[in-house]
Amino acid sequence: MQSTISATKRPERSINNAFASQYAKSMFLSIVGLAILVFIGTRMFTHIDLNLYGYMVGTITFIGGFFYRFIAWGERPPTKIIIKKGLKLLFRKSTAKTAVNHLAIYDFIKKRGFYRWLQHVLIGWGCVLACLVTFPLVFSWMYFTMADNGYYTVVLMGMDLINIKADGIIAWFSYNALNISAIMVITGVSMALYRRMKNMQARAEQKFVYDFLPLYLLLFISVTGLLLTVQNVFLHGWMQPQMSLIHQFSVIVTLIYLPFGKLAHIPFRPMSVFARNYREHYGDEHMKECKVCGEKFVSVEQSNDVINVLDVNEMNFNMEKDGFNLAELCLPCRRKYRIARFSGSPTHQVKVKEANQNARG
Amino acid sequence: MVKKRLYLELENCIGCRSCLAACTQCGGHEQRNRNYVYDVNPLVNRQTMPLMCLHCVNPACARSCPAQAIQIHETGAVLSALVEKCIGCQNCTIACPYGIPKFDTEQNLMYKCDLCIDRTKDGIPPMCASVCPSNTLQWLTDEEIEAKQKQFNLDNGKWVTSMPYLEGETNVRVNLPGILQGVTKLF
Repeated sequence: MQSTISATKRPERSINNAFASQYAKSMFLSIVGLAILVFIGTRMFTHIDLNLYGYMVGTITFIGGFFYRFIAWGERPPTKIIIKKGLKLLFRKSTAKTAVNHLAIYDFIKKRGFYRWLQHVLIGWGCVLACLVTFPLVFSWMYFTMADNGYYTVVLMGMDLINIKADGIIAWFSYNALNISAIMVITGVSMALYRRMKNMQARAEQKFVYDFLPLYLLLFISVTGLLLTVQNVFLHGWMQPQMSLIHQFSVIVTLIYLPFGKLAHIPFRPMSVFARNYREHYGDEHMKECKVCGEKFVSVEQSNDVINVLDVNEMNFNMEKDGFNLAELCLPCRRKYRIARFSGSPTHQVKVKEANQNARG
Repeated sequence: MVKKRLYLELENCIGCRSCLAACTQCGGHEQRNRNYVYDVNPLVNRQTMPLMCLHCVNPACARSCPAQAIQIHETGAVLSALVEKCIGCQNCTIACPYGIPKFDTEQNLMYKCDLCIDRTKDGIPPMCASVCPSNTLQWLTDEEIEAKQKQFNLDNGKWVTSMPYLEGETNVRVNLPGILQGVTKLF
């Protein structure tokens, strides 16, 4: 086992696979890609909104942080396996359904509680909506022009997309999209903060930096953003330039923080679709039978993958005397086997179902 | 604060399952227990033994987690998967040499014993140890564990199981039953 792993590993050890090389490559490609998109979107750099220049720099800093975190994370042996096999299985029939379920409607969070689901939908979709509006504007992939006729022309990637009435319904939603998203996020964050203050389960484990800071950052962004509208509409733009700088600061700080704290789950979450595909595909293919009771409990592929990953980490759970690896036993049998090791009598061989282990009776 | 450890004296167990019930009541456990009580030889006698996470120093579950969802607390406790990071691959359940992590398919989330981290981080014993009526589960300092060793009539160096009977160094200390060690204990 050892020799096969090192034999397959050696050719990978080139400078091209080093962290720094991968990082440089990813950064270079994304910045070039971004530049090309901006070139196209702005009709050869003629329509850049320099008001939003700070956000552009902030985004590039974010990409730097993101690749730093993501590539380091992808180097871990188990992560590598899931990413590699997940990409291979990306075009399964069920991918679309799983992706919608995990990434859009968060069904699994609803099972953890309706309140938590609602707050997550509000925060999650508020942020997505805001990003969909902001980033095209920052990189000028989308902008508005008006010939003196009361109609805006929406220009998307340099192409005239649609003419909309300046006081029409689409225009209203365009002007207010960020206000709507701010209200969604503020509602969601307030719900989350309330839960974190009241719920004893949450209070037991939460930490300021990990659990509260991202909420306060989102609140900071949303409140300062909403204040911009308030200043424009009710205060004739009083202190608006100052507030717009504060808002810009709040967004850039959050973008820099994003890959490293709790919010890092946003870019990493698509992995759960990979994991589901991985389990479904290899589960259909060939299930592993428990070496003691014969029950099918996991795919052969995953059992082997885990054994290999542990091997890379210099852990080996081969039970030479009994002729199996611990990853080849189903969970109840593995626990019984441990009891057997403790007591000396072969608990795992006794053909009795484990006693009820659920404290609710 | 003196560092204390969970210490198991396996043969004391009387099978009352108080530890399971207490586990459900711990903050952050959302009323689901994470420990087990097994009949050692169910068709022959009534001996039971508890089993819970032994909090490995080098935990296989965390090593096998693709999402880095399983974190290790500064006290050495191996925590439940972070709810926002766990991707539901169940690698941890396959990797754990003791079969401890539980998986909730509905919530797509793994959960396991976290040594009642909200209590133990402040030196309060975990729920299971604080309710155990038979002193199977105890919350002791290293000196107290050493004193236990002296209290038992053992000269053969076979005392605390850790290594030969476990797969790696653990933060929880387990004391094997005297039956297996071929010795009697003095109480």
